[in-house]
Amino acid sequence: MRIRCPHCGERDNGEFSYLGDAAPVRPDGPNASAEAMHDYVYLRDNPAGLHRELWYHAAGCRSWLVVTRDTRSHEIHEVAPARDVALSRRRGEVA
Amino acid sequence: MTTISLRDTDSATAATPGSAPVQPFRTAAGGLIDRRRPLEFTFDGARYGGVQGDTLASALLANGVRLVGRSFKYHRPRGILTAGSEEPNALVELRSGARREPNTRATTAELYEGLEALSQNRWPSLRYDALAVNALAAPIFAAGFYYKTFMWPAAFWEKLYEPLIRRAAGLGRAAHAPDPDTYDKAFAFCDVLVIGGGPAGLSAALAAGRAGARVILVDEDHRIGGRLVADRREVAGRSGADWVADSLAELDSMPDVRILGRTTLFGVYDHGAYGAVERVSDHLASPPAHAPRQRMWRITARRAVLAAGAIERPHVFGGNDRPGVMLAGAVRTYLNRYGVLPGRRVALFTSSDDGWRTVSDVVAAGAEVAAVIDTRASVAPGLRHGAEAAGARVILGGAVIGTKGHLALNAIEVVTADGRGETIACDCLAMANGWNPIVHLDSHLSRRPVWDAAIHAFVPDALPSGMAAAGAASGAFTLASCLETGGRAGAEAATACGFAGTSPEVPRTDPESVGHAPLWRVPGSKGKAFVDFQNDVAASDVELAHREGFRAVELLKRYTTLGMATDQGKTSNLAGLGIMAELTGQPIPSVGTTMFRPPFTPVAIGAFAGHHRGKDFRATRHVPSHAWCEEQGAVFVETGLWLRPAYFPRAGESDWLETVNREVNTVRAHVGVCDVTTLGKIDIQGRDALAFIERVCANPFGTLPVGKARYAVLLREDGFVLDDGTVARLGESHFVMTASTANAARVMQHLEFCRQWLWPELDLQMISVSEQWAQYAVAGPRARDTLRAVIDPGFDLSNEAFPFLACADVTVGGGIPARLLRISFSGELAYELAVPAAHGDAAWRAILQAGAGHGITAYGSEALSVMRIEKGHAAGAEINGQTTARDLGLGGMLARKKDYIGRLMKERPALTDPDRPILVGFRPVDPGQRLRAGAHFLAIGAAPSLEADEGSMTSVAFSPSLGHWIGLGLIRRGPERHGQRVRAYDPVRNGDIEVEICSPVFVDPNEEKLRV
Amino acid sequence: MSDVAMVGAEKLESIWKPRSAWAGYARAGRHGRTGGEAGITLTLRDEVGLATLIVADGKEAALDRALEASHGWSLPEAGRAALAGEEGLIWSGPGQWLAIAGTRRRLDGLADAVTGLASVTDQSDGRALVRVSGPCAREMLSKGVAIDLHPRAFRAGSAAVTSIAHIGAQLWQRDDAPTYDLAVARSFAGSFWSWLSHAAAEFGYGVEHGPGR
Repeated sequence: MRIRCPHCGERDNGEFSYLGDAAPVRPDGPNASAEAMHDYVYLRDNPAGLHRELWYHAAGCRSWLVVTRDTRSHEIHEVAPARDVALSRRRGEVA
Repeated sequence: MTTISLRDTDSATAATPGSAPVQPFRTAAGGLIDRRRPLEFTFDGARYGGVQGDTLASALLANGVRLVGRSFKYHRPRGILTAGSEEPNALVELRSGARREPNTRATTAELYEGLEALSQNRWPSLRYDALAVNALAAPIFAAGFYYKTFMWPAAFWEKLYEPLIRRAAGLGRAAHAPDPDTYDKAFAFCDVLVIGGGPAGLSAALAAGRAGARVILVDEDHRIGGRLVADRREVAGRSGADWVADSLAELDSMPDVRILGRTTLFGVYDHGAYGAVERVSDHLASPPAHAPRQRMWRITARRAVLAAGAIERPHVFGGNDRPGVMLAGAVRTYLNRYGVLPGRRVALFTSSDDGWRTVSDVVAAGAEVAAVIDTRASVAPGLRHGAEAAGARVILGGAVIGTKGHLALNAIEVVTADGRGETIACDCLAMANGWNPIVHLDSHLSRRPVWDAAIHAFVPDALPSGMAAAGAASGAFTLASCLETGGRAGAEAATACGFAGTSPEVPRTDPESVGHAPLWRVPGSKGKAFVDFQNDVAASDVELAHREGFRAVELLKRYTTLGMATDQGKTSNLAGLGIMAELTGQPIPSVGTTMFRPPFTPVAIGAFAGHHRGKDFRATRHVPSHAWCEEQGAVFVETGLWLRPAYFPRAGESDWLETVNREVNTVRAHVGVCDVTTLGKIDIQGRDALAFIERVCANPFGTLPVGKARYAVLLREDGFVLDDGTVARLGESHFVMTASTANAARVMQHLEFCRQWLWPELDLQMISVSEQWAQYAVAGPRARDTLRAVIDPGFDLSNEAFPFLACADVTVGGGIPARLLRISFSGELAYELAVPAAHGDAAWRAILQAGAGHGITAYGSEALSVMRIEKGHAAGAEINGQTTARDLGLGGMLARKKDYIGRLMKERPALTDPDRPILVGFRPVDPGQRLRAGAHFLAIGAAPSLEADEGSMTSVAFSPSLGHWIGLGLIRRGPERHGQRVRAYDPVRNGDIEVEICSPVFVDPNEEKLRV
Repeated sequence: MSDVAMVGAEKLESIWKPRSAWAGYARAGRHGRTGGEAGITLTLRDEVGLATLIVADGKEAALDRALEASHGWSLPEAGRAALAGEEGLIWSGPGQWLAIAGTRRRLDGLADAVTGLASVTDQSDGRALVRVSGPCAREMLSKGVAIDLHPRAFRAGSAAVTSIAHIGAQLWQRDDAPTYDLAVARSFAGSFWSWLSHAAAEFGYGVEHGPGR
C-alpha cells in the first residue's frame, strides 16, 4: 500500500502505523459521562466501503492523518491532517 | 567418477577424466550461445561440458542426459519438460556446502564453470531408486492418501507415519551452514513498468521510452526477447533475435529507461507497488567481491504493462512424464536458442497449429521427425504438406496413449483416427496443447481472470488499477498482435503519465496460423497420465476426487494437492479444471478459476532479509557510555532496540549474581553510576504546555514549581496504566517529561495523538530530545561528593539548596551546558546528570574518575532492577497493560479535580473491585529458598485451580541488602494481608514454596537515605 | 572532602573532549571495491549545529520575518530546505524545521531571536550527520531510501523525513551533483553505518572527516 501524506507526499505504508476509526469523538471535560466514554473507547463500526480512519506517519513527519479508504478495494480517496480535521470539528464544521 | 554406459533408453555420456567433454547432442552450428567459451560442470558427480549461454538443462540435454530427477510421491524417473521458470520436473540441488540450494530449476539455472548439481529425491541413486516401489503401491498414494491411509491408529502418526512420509516424499535438502553471500535491496520508481521482455514488452518499453517516460523493463530470463529468441521468426525482415538486439540497444540509449534482466517480478501489491528479485550473481560460481548474490527490488510505478507471455500446456496421457516427453515450445527453444537436440528422432503430439512449427525446426537442426500426431481430424493443407515433405508420418485425429522406455523415452504408443494402435520409435516427444496467458500477476490483487472461449484459455479481465496487459499475456498470441498490443499499451501508459505517447508502427512479421482445439485428457491412456508433474497428481486422482464429491476447484486442489507444489501448477491447473469440467459436464469457467498468490516463483528468504540478518537483523541503539562499557567487558542485554550494559564483571567474580550483588552493595554503601540515557525524554514548551500535561497525566501538576520534578503516571483511555516517568519544570512553560525505555516511542505517539487529534486547540510545541542528552544516574551516600567534582564550581549541591526532586541547569567541564535532577530509583541519595550526548563519553569517565576516591562502581540494568525491587517501584513487569494505578498502589496520588486520559474508565466496577490483585512484597518463609517470577499464589492447602488463583509474582531478585530473595507481585487484597503466608506455585519449574506477604518496600521504608 | 573534589576537577579538565557520533564505527580512508575512482564519498560531520524550531500556533508569518531579520533565513515550505552555504532551515514536519549551521555557536542566539514565536531545542548532539557525494551517490541511496530520488522528483533543495534500513532519517539534497546530507538519531549511528558501508561497498567508497568543531 502507498499513502499520500499531505505533508511528505506518497510513501510506503511501512512508514505509517494504523489506529482505527476516526469517527468517535472523545467526550471531554469533567462532565463527560461514563457511558459516553465507554462508547468512545469501545464502539466501532466496521463498514464494507468507505472508512475514515486514523493513521500515524511514524517514520515521517509524525502527523496523525485521517485516511478515507475503501475497505473492499484499499482504494484511498482522501488523506487529511488529523489536526485540521479536529479543528474543523471544534468549529462545528462538518468534517 | 562413474561412466554411464551408452544405451538407447538413456544415452547419457559423461567425460572420462582428462578428456575434453564431448556434447553428442549439440548441433554443429547455430543457437544464441557462445561456442568459443566452453564450460565444464558436474551432475551427480559425473563431469560434462557445456558452453556459455547454456542453462543446466540445455547442457544436460546436449550431453544426452535426459533422466534428471525422481518424482515427489512415486519416485518415477523424470526429465526436462520445459525451458523456463514453469518447470515442474527438473529440480536439482545446485552448488554445495553452505551455498547448496535445493529445488533449483535446471531450466533457469545458468551454466558457469565448475557448476555442481545433484539430482534430488532418489536413494540410493538416480538410476536405481529403492523407493520407486512406491509406484507399485500407487493405489495407496492416490488423492487424499494422507487422510485415509494414515488415519489409524493415531499413536502411529508421530512415530511411524510422519517419518515414513517425510523420507518418501519431499524434495531437496537445504544447506545447514549460514549463507555466506550478501543480499541487497533497492527501491525504484518509474512512470511505466513493463513486465516481460518479449515482443510485446519490448514494443511497450520502446513506445513509452520514446515518449520520454521513465521506464523499467524486467525480464526473468538472462537473455531478453521471449519467444523471439526461442523461435525462428522474422520481424521487419530480420531475425527476431536481431530485432531484439536493436530494440535493447535503443532502450539502452535512453537515460530514463532501466532494463533489469535476470529479474523476476514476483508480486503485485496495492497502489502501484511491485516486488522483484534480481539474480545478480546466480550465474556465477560465487558473487564477485562486494557484489550481492541477489537484489530485492521494490518498484513503485504509475502504470504497468503486463507482457509476461504465456505458458504452453502439456497433454494428459499415459506415461506423459517419461523423460524425453517435452513441451513443443521447449523443444524449439533447445533447438533454436541453445543449439541442442532434445532427441535425434522427434515425434510431435499437437492440438494446435502452433505446434507444427516444431517440424521445420527439428529438420533445420539436423534431426528426424518421426511422426506428427494431431488430435484434430483436419488441419490446414500447408501444415500437412510441410511435415510430409520433411519425411514425417502424419496422423490426424489420432492421439498418443502411452510411452515406452526404461529410464527415458524410446517409443510412443499411438492410436489413429480409426482406432488402430501403433508403436512409433522416437527419443523425444513434443507436446503442443495450446498456451495459457500468464495471469498470475494480475490475480495477485484478487482480480479474477475470465474464460476466453476463442482461445480456450483464461485471460485477464479487470486488471489492477494502472495495469494493462499486452501480447500473449492478454491472449494475443500471434507475433504481429504482440508487437501491436505491446506498442499500444506502452504508448497509452506513457500518455496516462502525461507524456505524448504514440503507438509505434507495427513491423512486418512472417505469417502464422493459430488454429487450436485443446484436448484435456487423452481417452484410453495406458498407465498413469499426469496432470501435475511436481506433486504427482494424475488424471485418475482428479477422477477420484470427482467420484468422492470434491468437485469445486478449491476442494479439488486441496484433496489432490493439484497445483500446490512450488510451481503453483503453472503447467497443470487448467488441465485439472478441464478434466473436472468434462466429468461434471460443465464448461470450464463453471468449475472455477485458479487464482495465484505471490510469489510468481519461489524467492529466497535471504533476498527478503537483505542486509537485515545476524547483528543487523534489526537496528541496535548504543548508549553514550557504550565505548567504555565495551572496554570494561560489560555484559549487555537487549532492551527493545537498545543494547544496555546489564552488569560489569570484575576479575575474581565467579558469576553474574556475585557481580550484581557487589554493584548493589557498592551503591547502597558508597556510590554508583548507571547509564539511563535509554529513557525517553520529551521536551514540551508553549502557552498550553501545562494544560496539556495536566490532561495526559493522571496526577496533578498545577502546583509544580519551576525548578522541581515530580513523578508522573500516564493512563490509557481505558483506565489502565500506560507508563510512568517524571515531569520536570524547567521554566514557566517549559517541561521535560521522561518515559520508560520500553515505552518511549509509544508514549511519544500517544502524546502526538492527544495534541493533534484530541486537543488541537492547545498551543504547545513538543519534540523528543532523547538523543540529545546523555543521562546518568549517580546514586549512593557519596553521590553528592562525587558530583561536586564533576559539576563546574559555583553550584550549591547542598541538601538545602538542591533538595530531593529539585532540577536545575548546570555546567560541566568548564562551561558545557548540563541538566541536573535530584531523583532516585534506587532509594539512595541520587541525581541524574544530563549532558549533551557528544560529551556523554567524557562525562561518564569524569564521573568514574571523580568517584574513584569514594569507591564508585558502574552498575548496569541488573543492579538497577534489584534496587527498584528492593524499593517496591513498579516497572515493566508490573506496568504490563493489565494493571491500574490502584493495582500498583498509586491510586492515592491521582488527581481528583481535573479531567485526564483514563479518568472515567479506571472507575469501572471490575477495575475498582476490592478483590483485585494489588501490588505487595513477598519473601520466602525459608530464607534459603529462591523465588520465581511467574509463580501463582494459592492459599496454603488449596488445590491448584483457576478459581483458587489469587494473583502472581511479577518480579523477583536476590536482595544483597537483606541476604535473601524478595519479590513483587499482585495478590487479592494484598495490602490488607501483610504477614499472611501463601503458596507460590510454579508448576512449570516445579516450584511450590511458602511465601509471606509484606510491604513492597524492603529497604529504607522511611526514606531516610533519600532526603539527606 | 573538598580536597578530593579539587584534585578531581583538575584531572578532569583533560577528558572533557566531545566524541564523534561516528567514533568506533567509521574509519577514514578508502573501503569497499578497490581500483578506480571511489563511487561514493562519505564525509562525517560533527561540527554542525542543529536545533529544532517549532512554531507557535498562528505565528508562522511573524517567525519568518524574525528569522529573516536575525539570521537572514526564510522558512522553507514542506519538503524543502532553504540553505545558504552550510546554514539555514530544513523542513521537518508541519510547523517544524531543523535549523542547521556550520558551527554550534552560530545557533546560540536563535532562541532569543524567536521568543514568543517558536520554541527552539538544541539537537546538535542528537543526530549523526554524514554527507554523501560521488558519482554513485543517488544509486547507492536508492538501496535504502524508499522515496523517489530521480531529478524529476527530488532536486537540490528537496528534503524528506523517512526511514532508511528501518532507522529514522532526515535527508536533503544540497546540489545537482548530487550531494546529499543525511541525519540519523545518534544512538543508531553504528547500525546505520553498517547499512551505509554495506550499501556503498560495491561502488568503492572513501570516508573523510569534515572540519572539526
